[in-house]
Amino acid sequence: MAASVKDDPTTSNRRLRTRKKFFDTYAVSEHPLEEKALQLFRLITESIGNRHGATDDFFARIVNRAQELPPKPKQRVEEIKDLGINFPLRLFCYRVIENIVILFNGGIKESQATQESKNLSMKFYDAQTFVKKIEEALQSEMIKISDDGRYLQNFDGTTDIIP
Amino acid sequence: MRSKTVDRLLNSTPKDVEIFVDWYADLVVRINQLLRENDISKKELAEKMDKKPSEISKWLSGEHNFTLRSLAKLSAELGEPLIEVPKRKAQTEFVEDGFRCRVHTFVSYTNLDTKTSGKFWQFPEETEPNNELSNAG
Repeated sequence: MAASVKDDPTTSNRRLRTRKKFFDTYAVSEHPLEEKALQLFRLITESIGNRHGATDDFFARIVNRAQELPPKPKQRVEEIKDLGINFPLRLFCYRVIENIVILFNGGIKESQATQESKNLSMKFYDAQTFVKKIEEALQSEMIKISDDGRYLQNFDGTTDIIP
Repeated sequence: MRSKTVDRLLNSTPKDVEIFVDWYADLVVRINQLLRENDISKKELAEKMDKKPSEISKWLSGEHNFTLRSLAKLSAELGEPLIEVPKRKAQTEFVEDGFRCRVHTFVSYTNLDTKTSGKFWQFPEETEPNNELSNAG
């Protein structure tokens, strides 16, 4: 579950290069949100990546749109509120299919709405831009889902995808 | 190729954090499964999860009582899983030659290292029995 982005002189990529990656920012010793970042990492790599997949339990059924991790729980049940509602971090992603989730950047959620959160609004815009480009590339078959449904590849079978 | 960051995080995540998140996700999936399959209300679900009637309204109102974290820490200390969520498979039952066949997955947990004070456990890899008949119920 990763997007490979090579050097490219577009505005989006210049912005991307100047930003520190999400987990290198928050999942570091001494950072007050280190444990939260580790929780999110585990949710993505183990719970979604290995155990359950990117099912509707974790993702809303929306297309053409970046989503937030951790997901908001669909049921209002005490035990499943902690990561979904009160969680201070948000990481943007795009569910291509149940086996492929592309992770973008994220940050601290400072207000109720993502767009009002200074730390998140531009990253959400970036994520949306990437989602649009990925969707267009999939539709034009410049990139496609691998035969085993586990990763994205170029039309010629190579896996370094340059946006 | 896996990044250095992924390797670092895989190696540095505390066991209780891993368990906490695993349980959280399993609960999300399990609760959705139950609600979907049995068409039951949240109140009924609360009762099925052994909540006392007096706790139900508080439980449903969303007031905090994070016992999941303390259970995760306890499980890490004991070295044994305290809860287990069966993974539902789409094809668990089928009819063949006039027989109703059910497919079961059996999982056994074995503590491989007793010298580590029970702080770690290893899940054996799932294996499918070779004998097809051994799985028919």
